[in-house]
Amino acid sequence: MTNFTLSKVDLNAFIKSLSKNFDVYAPVKDHVVDGGSVRFKVVSDAKVICLSENAYYPLKELFFRKKEVLFKYSEKGLEVPVKKVKSKAILGIRRCDLHSLANQDRIYMREVPDPYYIAEREKTLLIGYHCKKAEEYCFCGSIDLQGNADIMLYELPGNKFLVEVHSDNALRLVESLKKIFKKTDIVIDAESRKIEGSNRLQKKDVHSFYDNPGWQEGIDKCLSCAACNFHCPSCYCFNIHDEANVHNMKEGERIRTWAGCQLKSFTRVAGEHIFRDTRKDRFRHRIYHQLQYFKERYGTTLCSGCGRCIRFCPTKIDFIDILNRM
Amino acid sequence: MAKKKTTIESKFLPKKVTILSYQRESADSFTIKVDFAVKHEPGQFVQVTLPGIGEAPISICSYSDKFMELNIREVGDLTKNLAKLKVGDKLFIRGPYGKGYPMKDLKGNNVIIIGGGCGVAPLRGIIDYIEQNRADYGDVKLFLGFRTPGDILFQEKIKGWGKNFDVRISVDKLPADSCFAGPVGFVTNMVKNEQIDNKNKVVFVCGPPIMMDVVIKILKEKWFNDDQIFISAERLMHCALGLCGHCMIHGKYTCLDGPVFRWDELKECKND
Repeated sequence: MTNFTLSKVDLNAFIKSLSKNFDVYAPVKDHVVDGGSVRFKVVSDAKVICLSENAYYPLKELFFRKKEVLFKYSEKGLEVPVKKVKSKAILGIRRCDLHSLANQDRIYMREVPDPYYIAEREKTLLIGYHCKKAEEYCFCGSIDLQGNADIMLYELPGNKFLVEVHSDNALRLVESLKKIFKKTDIVIDAESRKIEGSNRLQKKDVHSFYDNPGWQEGIDKCLSCAACNFHCPSCYCFNIHDEANVHNMKEGERIRTWAGCQLKSFTRVAGEHIFRDTRKDRFRHRIYHQLQYFKERYGTTLCSGCGRCIRFCPTKIDFIDILNRM
Repeated sequence: MAKKKTTIESKFLPKKVTILSYQRESADSFTIKVDFAVKHEPGQFVQVTLPGIGEAPISICSYSDKFMELNIREVGDLTKNLAKLKVGDKLFIRGPYGKGYPMKDLKGNNVIIIGGGCGVAPLRGIIDYIEQNRADYGDVKLFLGFRTPGDILFQEKIKGWGKNFDVRISVDKLPADSCFAGPVGFVTNMVKNEQIDNKNKVVFVCGPPIMMDVVIKILKEKWFNDDQIFISAERLMHCALGLCGHCMIHGKYTCLDGPVFRWDELKECKND
């Protein structure tokens, strides 16, 4: 497909045009609400977009909702609420998050089609952003990244983006905005697709490490807080429970919320038996699910190498370091 | 652009059913029969809901496409509330889920059934199945263990089984005020002391994790092969669809790949 260029000055016009048909989301660094952290939010002006830092919060929160009402119950019976969703265009998705989104799509759209997720995800326009340099905890270069955006933006000298178009819908959109998207002969070579300094994980095949004493190092510092799970863009486990209406206990909602496998209650059954009772069992399970179980079942690693589980760990357990030493 | 409205066809939405009969089995367990008529395999399970209380996986202890029986032990919020229901009351069920015992593939075998406590419930479905397809299977031997004589489940049913099958029952303890004619001790001892070979046999095991571990060790000592042993695993389950992650055992979903596993599928899983 033909490539285009987009001047950064024209980014605002692009967003304005997208806003006619979509809620436009992009990473925003917000000092007032989020204490200076970066999060995907609805934007109407390119000025607030922050492409220089990876988002703190995972993109999954836009599709795999932190809280989803599965159905409402009352004396009349059970009823599934109708979902009202506006199409989303998401700008500035890094390669790691595209990989995670592809994994979530696989689970929630193909393996076990989930209408709640599909309603949020349908007709979403993905605009990727190629970051050139790894941040401190990144290791996406060690991961065989999957996932594609409809449009991919690469930094070019001269305050411009090179625009690669990967879907027919996106091509129609780009061609309709001739004033800001200029055709070009520039192509991105294989070298420029690499992300510098991101190849930290040397030991990706963990299957022989099950009884390795090296796990202990991570376990000694683990607080079982599950921050790693909730910041992970790939983690897709959830809980289901009922929430009664406090004003009328006969009615309420059955809801689905994010779950964390690092919490002790994750495998607790009635009678108080806990299958993964120790921090070792739980820590190892998370790494195995990310690097081995998911790959065995679906062909790609669940992990995208974004490093959020290390960055947001209160005791900075660097599982990459731990695995590399095994 | 206006927001698009989407009607959701939810897999999480259970069906309303009515309790047809209620039988107290022991001080802390009971069996209900509900008008949930679906085809299923012995060993599969359903998700049972009481709105406002929650949902839990319960194994099916009958084999019929006209009704369903569930044996329930009162151990948590949901089960304690289920125990308070009466004949004619409503509850909600979705399912059946999971892989049951592959009875069709095992035709022609002699059957050994080893159950401990409420682990006998999913095994009862096999016995119902064999009774309906008696010509397809050889000798049937049952080893059932319970805590005390008062905990023995399905007492009426067991009397009937004794007419067609070799049924052995043991109790772990014999309290002073109870009487029991059979052996006192763990069910594993009965299996250990029995002269059995592995010829044309399949073994179905269900019970507490420690009991299953010991039984498998004994069976291995008696030269049973891994692919002759079937166990039924228990894990926390929220969705029963292979999504929520709680029931994962070393990469396998208990709700999809199990709850019935052939032992060679699970033995490498290191109890994870």
